[in-house]
Amino acid sequence: MSPTEVTDRLAALRDDFDRSFAEPARQHDAEHAELLAIRAGGRPYALRLAQARGVHSDRPVTPLPGPQPALLGVAGFTGAIVPVYDLAALLGHPLPERPRWLVLALGVPPLALAFHELDGHVRVAASLIVEEAGARAGRDVLRGMVALPGGTRPIVDLPSARAAVHQLTGHTTYNTEER
Amino acid sequence: MGRDPLRYFRIEARELVDQISAGVLDLDQQPGPDLVARLLRFAHTLKGAARVVRQQEIADRAHAFEEVLVPHRQGTSVLPADEMRELLRLNDEIEAHVAALEPSSPGPADPRGTEPGPVDPAPPADDGADPARAAEPVMSEAAAKSPAHPEAGPAARGATADVDELLDAVGEAHTRFAPLRTGGHALDRLTRSAEALADQLRVGRAAAHTDAARAAAARLAADLAALGRRITDTVEQVERELDEVRGRAERLRLVSAASIFTALHRAVRDAADAQDKRVRFESRGGDLRLDPQVLNLAGNALLHVVRNAVVHGIETGEDRLAAGKPAEGSVLVEVERRGRSVAFRCADDGRGFDLAAVRRTAEARGLLTPGGTPPDEQTLLRLLLRGGISTSPTVTDVAGRGIGLDVARDVADQLGGEVSVRTDAGLGATVELVLPLTLMSLHGLIVEAAGAVATVPLDAVRTCVRLLPEQAATAAVTGKLAHDGQAVPFLPLARALYAGTTVPDGAGPAVAVIVAADGAAVAVGVDRLAGTSTLVVRPLPELAPAAAVVGGVSIDLDGNPRLVLDAQGLIAETARLGGGAEPAAPARALPILVVDDSLTTRMLERSILESAGYEVDLAASGEEGLELARSRRYGLYLTDIDMPGIDGFTFVAETRADPELAVVPAILVSSRASAEDRQRGAAVGASAYVVKGEFNQEELLAHIRKLAPA
Repeated sequence: MSPTEVTDRLAALRDDFDRSFAEPARQHDAEHAELLAIRAGGRPYALRLAQARGVHSDRPVTPLPGPQPALLGVAGFTGAIVPVYDLAALLGHPLPERPRWLVLALGVPPLALAFHELDGHVRVAASLIVEEAGARAGRDVLRGMVALPGGTRPIVDLPSARAAVHQLTGHTTYNTEER
Repeated sequence: MGRDPLRYFRIEARELVDQISAGVLDLDQQPGPDLVARLLRFAHTLKGAARVVRQQEIADRAHAFEEVLVPHRQGTSVLPADEMRELLRLNDEIEAHVAALEPSSPGPADPRGTEPGPVDPAPPADDGADPARAAEPVMSEAAAKSPAHPEAGPAARGATADVDELLDAVGEAHTRFAPLRTGGHALDRLTRSAEALADQLRVGRAAAHTDAARAAAARLAADLAALGRRITDTVEQVERELDEVRGRAERLRLVSAASIFTALHRAVRDAADAQDKRVRFESRGGDLRLDPQVLNLAGNALLHVVRNAVVHGIETGEDRLAAGKPAEGSVLVEVERRGRSVAFRCADDGRGFDLAAVRRTAEARGLLTPGGTPPDEQTLLRLLLRGGISTSPTVTDVAGRGIGLDVARDVADQLGGEVSVRTDAGLGATVELVLPLTLMSLHGLIVEAAGAVATVPLDAVRTCVRLLPEQAATAAVTGKLAHDGQAVPFLPLARALYAGTTVPDGAGPAVAVIVAADGAAVAVGVDRLAGTSTLVVRPLPELAPAAAVVGGVSIDLDGNPRLVLDAQGLIAETARLGGGAEPAAPARALPILVVDDSLTTRMLERSILESAGYEVDLAASGEEGLELARSRRYGLYLTDIDMPGIDGFTFVAETRADPELAVVPAILVSSRASAEDRQRGAAVGASAYVVKGEFNQEELLAHIRKLAPA
């Protein structure tokens, strides 16, 4: 490579690099979806990044004694105190180990869901996602499936998970339009 | 500074006006030469300062104020009513002029900013003559010009003291860093020693050299350990100090409840004067620090409540004497924290609510059926609180009272609180406004229990008692602690904090914190006290229902939530748990000691045992196992056979040889499956033998449950 080629290549790489930050991460075209491949309670799931406000690891969670076994406790996020629920417990198969990952759900009031492992971040073609029309009854927080290397994973729908938590705590102001 | 010559005068004048306002009201109640002298001093200072900055209007009024007071220098009697009125009038005028000096900052919310001259500091009289008029504008005006202007006046003064305290705390934290600074030098020295040691090791092969090097290495290790301890201590202290700094800084956002008292006192005084009654005002709980918004709204509602207490509750002097009461009426305002709420209570000793009139009005307005079953007191009070009565133009006396309640109810609705009324015919009435707290500052005692850190509000802590291990054990078993000649219910904090889950390892309670509230007391067992701290308590977030022992959350230095316990909740929880014997929960059974050199096996066994509800201690070798076995009482030993050093057979044999440990059953868990090994296990005294290859969770648990019932 000549020096000019190297310089051009460098400039191109820099541009790409900068652009990757300038572009909003969650923006995705209709044909693609940004997913997180996760494990909760030892089982594989996926969740849509577009439904999350952020993902954090190893954040201290202060246990809170109370009536909800799924409520792991509260965690601090820049001065706000956020309840943390165990996703595996919401899905019905909790493990004794405390999950180390937290995903902040969009919407109010603040809510974080905890899961055990993060397998990766994937961008998949919409065609790989098997959509399920309409909400299933009750506290079902799974909506659709996605075929990923290593197997098909059920998709955890964060708004439904939020609805499940609202139902558990008797919180009534939940607005279905948030979905 | 040159551009604004009034800058400092404003601050000083505001402070003097606050002191004069409070002093004049005290003079009305407790006259005395000291108070007169103090008021004269304030007025004189204000006059001098006003002259310097050419505020003649203020100086003249301060002078007039002095003139009224001078003849009473020696006196202990109450000032004549007209002189009191004159003092109050001058006070108001001075206040108005001082307020008018404020730059436009107070904005439209403060009419005094744009309109100099005397203003009525109390809300328009809702004396019942025209309730319809009073109802509407009263609230907005009162809200706009609460005479106490809690944000500008007393709060500002309070804030000065707080800033001083904050600065002290910052200074303290700063000095705590000193050991870290000197630690740097110590570290340099140790680095040099280490280099010297390395040199020695490079050159020397002889025995003498090796000995010298070994001695140097030992010294180095000791020095390093000492330095490490010092750094750890220092860091802990610095953290505590910074915690204090943060708490005090947060406290600056809050205002003391006392800041609304002057306005209430004045409202009582003015109403009494207008009605020709004598009323004494008392206040309690002024130290409580509250969110200024809550305080402001509550203060405005209370203005109406206290006025109504005077106008409609307190009888005239003759009536009171005839009823066998002192001629002087009394209005008491109390502010009190109640767990996650604050209660503002206004109690008077007047005639109480006229419930018969309420009933007549309700019937006239079709709210009650005339001639029906007589409604009980609560029904009538509910009607009164619901409004509707107050708008009646006919029963003015009742109507007037209703308006005050309406304002209180509005505030309660706005903040999600409650209003309640208690009335005793002929004896008085109490109106209580209970509001949920959003932010509140308190001093807390930091306690640790089984690895969890929590804060107990210091105002609920009566004392702390050190517990000997036997005392702690007895207290845990009986659920009672002998304290001060009484059996106080005992609650191990770990049990409340880890309700329903396994309590992690811990030394167990070593201190009992005696917590009292509402006349009841409990002894809360904690592992250790970790100092006191000023903290701001927030409510628990939505979607986080918690046991009653948790009163709120504060945020620690790292931004993580820390639980703040609730005294009433602790008492209720102790009562719920029966205060009796240790519960049968497996978490409270004796712990199990797992001895195994394989990390995987240790973790696996721990997970099985913990999910079965046992508490588990781990040892990675036979030696460590023996050490632990001797340091704590266990319900069972679970040990591997093949380990470097002391093996499982030896571990079992040694524990069987110790009369204290021999009572603890031991299970051998091994990959060895031969009959010989099983026999040897039985020979040394193992109670069971489980083969790892056939490792079966249920089989293991069955053995364990048999030997150490949960």
